Amino acid sequence: MSARLAFVLGLALWLPLLACQIPRGVVGVEPLSLSRVAGEGDPARRASMRLVMGGLESDGEGRGVEASSRYQRALQVDPTNPYAWLALARQEVFEGDAERGLAHLDKARALLGADERATAHLVGLRGAALVALGQPRLGEPFLQEARQLAPVVWGDGKLDASELW
Amino acid sequence: MVVRLDGVVRDRFEGRLFRVPSRVLSAPTILYPGLDWKRVDLLGSLQRLGYRESATHDPLGLGRFHLRRGELRIHRRAFEHPTRAEPARVLALRLEGSVISELRDASSGRELGAAFLEPELVGAYYGSDHEQRELVRLGEVPEHLIDAILAVEDQRFRDHRGVDVRRIIGALVANLRAGGIRQGGSTLTQQLVKNFFLTPERSLERKFQEAVMALIVEARYEKDAILEAYLNEIYLGQRGSTAVHGVGEASHFFFGKGVRDLALPESALIAAIIKSPNGLSPHSEPERAQKRRDLVLELMAEQGRIDDVALAAAKDEPVRVAKVTPEPREARYFLDALQRQLPNFYGPTTLTTEGLQIYSTLDLRLQRTAARVVAEELARLEKTYAKLKPQGDVQVQACLIALRPQTGEVLALVGGRDYGKSQFDRCTQARRPAGSVFKPFVYAAALEPASGGPVLTLAAWVDDDPLELLTPAGPWRPKNFDHENHGRVPLREALERSYNVATARLGQQVGIPRVIEMAHRLGIESPLPQVPSLAIGAADITPIELARAYATLANGGIRPQIRTFEDVVDPLAGTLERQPIEAERVLDDGTAYLVTSLLEGVVNRGTAAALRRGGLSGPVAGKTGTSNDERDAWFVGYTPELVAVVWIGFDEPKSLGLAASAIALPVWERFVREATGGVVRGRFLRPPEVDEIEIDPMTGAVALAGCPARRVEYFLQGTEPVETCPGWIDRWEPRDGRGFLERLFETWLDRL
Repeated sequence: MSARLAFVLGLALWLPLLACQIPRGVVGVEPLSLSRVAGEGDPARRASMRLVMGGLESDGEGRGVEASSRYQRALQVDPTNPYAWLALARQEVFEGDAERGLAHLDKARALLGADERATAHLVGLRGAALVALGQPRLGEPFLQEARQLAPVVWGDGKLDASELW
Repeated sequence: MVVRLDGVVRDRFEGRLFRVPSRVLSAPTILYPGLDWKRVDLLGSLQRLGYRESATHDPLGLGRFHLRRGELRIHRRAFEHPTRAEPARVLALRLEGSVISELRDASSGRELGAAFLEPELVGAYYGSDHEQRELVRLGEVPEHLIDAILAVEDQRFRDHRGVDVRRIIGALVANLRAGGIRQGGSTLTQQLVKNFFLTPERSLERKFQEAVMALIVEARYEKDAILEAYLNEIYLGQRGSTAVHGVGEASHFFFGKGVRDLALPESALIAAIIKSPNGLSPHSEPERAQKRRDLVLELMAEQGRIDDVALAAAKDEPVRVAKVTPEPREARYFLDALQRQLPNFYGPTTLTTEGLQIYSTLDLRLQRTAARVVAEELARLEKTYAKLKPQGDVQVQACLIALRPQTGEVLALVGGRDYGKSQFDRCTQARRPAGSVFKPFVYAAALEPASGGPVLTLAAWVDDDPLELLTPAGPWRPKNFDHENHGRVPLREALERSYNVATARLGQQVGIPRVIEMAHRLGIESPLPQVPSLAIGAADITPIELARAYATLANGGIRPQIRTFEDVVDPLAGTLERQPIEAERVLDDGTAYLVTSLLEGVVNRGTAAALRRGGLSGPVAGKTGTSNDERDAWFVGYTPELVAVVWIGFDEPKSLGLAASAIALPVWERFVREATGGVVRGRFLRPPEVDEIEIDPMTGAVALAGCPARRVEYFLQGTEPVETCPGWIDRWEPRDGRGFLERLFETWLDRL
């Protein structure tokens, strides 16, 4: 009888987790790096990713405007490429307009679905955007979560282009 | 007089020398492995960009391409982009059927993930003179072009002071011998002065003025400045109604390349036609042009500007010119729409004189497709339906606008049948009754979880029985298109069949203020009347607003800002204006998905089912709309990557006498089929907060095993049905004090 009770109780605890809408980040999961997913998908996605990677290169070398243009070209080829939206969001949050960055981040989140590798970047960028928008009390908890999920990348509260590569 | 003329000269030379129309360029073509090169009309793009086919690929000249079985090589020219310069490069494309299977840099052999072609010219903002020129600096102009022009037009240019007396005497003698004016004695400076300040009239007084002004110009300005002005001013031909001025523009026009890439025979040809650009045009008079070109080459040799070897080689070259590509006329409405979207300080004067480069969002291939489809389909409809036949000047009109929903980029815009006859843009300027294309906003308001939760779920039923509502204007009784009432109908069917009565009732249930708020949130900006009939589209809105609102649904509830351009660049001062991607979440992605799912039903089973019969496969959502008295026919539809609106109607209120599914839908279907190649890429993503549940269609209850009828339905989490299919209800009843699940677990555990 006690085994049955434990099973039912366990199920009761587990079900709400299943129902949770936002993918939970898992500590220890290696955070998303775009070079690892660049070869995936159909030809349009792969071409789009090559443009994203070119944009990250420009971004890393301090040519933000050029990078942004490359990400936009990537979206011309594949407007549903979540990684292009993520890269564009990163660029906007740290070097452009954080509010725009939040909108792009929302798009990336919707397209990424339940990819838990992306969680650290999604919550970290959200936190960084909120901080940039003058709302540190709202943003810091997200940054804190990102630090816990991916301490090496988010330890400094930033996501460099090279760290997204 | 000299003082006055001096003032005139100084005003011109020290102000803006040239008025240069601003050009609008398309989004670049991006090549990549896997791309269907035939569908994107790659060869057409190359020809429009002035690339010429070459018989060989080794060597392959700049601006040439070579196509042979299974391979296409393109020697792409270098080009500037606002944020990056693209170097010249030979691209090697391996072709398998209509697909690019491999893309490499031919020089290094390096595989390329993607490569750009230069953007195509969409159009320009011309002044009243309709002149086009590309300004060049003297340093950019090859020496052989300057030599060729001086050899034939003014060989003592470096020595005289504006007027060449020796040349005048020579010309006088020649003319006396010929008994008329056969030879001119004008120097380059005089020609420049004549073009800048004087009329073409041939009189002694005008000639005298010309000479005085030439002397003033030479006294005030350096030879190089005069030569540069001349090279940019000289008239060199005609592209349709546009006059080609200057060697920069002429290089593109005749040879499809920039001036710095000209070869000696090409330079000689440009110099040759200065005398009579139309009479010696290499397009229409190639033999005469070649004869004159050879004369120029011989003069160059005589004057020691080239040696005999160069002379012989250049004369051996046949005259080859790029195909005349008339400026596209399909995009005139787009140019106007873009101008209206630019900030106010880019007024007509700026746009017609400053020579700006405007990098637009237009996909020229889609634009051409849209223009062709609209023209051909309207002609077909006029033949098919007597009611649509033109009567005098009254012709049925149309609008087609296509956007990329994620970025709000306008990809194609056709604002009417003929820009020459009517510049009124029916996509962005015409407010027309929306009819049933408005209905999805009612359903979105009903399905959205507001403070009290959504009004309905997709499993709900609505009442389509006769309805009468009292309004200040008297009783209002909505009627269905088929003049029938259908009783209680599933919510899906109400939209799929576009039932007016059911939707009007739903509007009342949701509340018209909430419907208005939803429509505005999605992107409708026109004022909306707070009347019951709004629910079935009694509101005047523009097609571009509708495109944006549907784009919001296609984009999972994120509303994009409409964009017609990316960058405005001043060639001298750099980027002046940038229009970034702007978007805002205005609806949760779950509700947006539910509405998309409803609109997919319209295409799969409802009033737009003809789309599927046309052969269009893949994810497509959309809605037909016919306004009162059938004055407006709409179809608004989207795929995951494209939203397009088609409107058809008369400018003046007049009934079409036809439903949207008969006339607007075929235009949309053909446009999207040709745009996508018939296979729509991608899918509408179901967000995690939407559950897919099998239900009993009659009751909306969860269908468990054994339920006789079932279909899949989508529910926002928390709104799923709690009842189950009737056949199972008794099993849920508690027995012996234990519920169904507990009994099920016990059975399972016992089996373990």
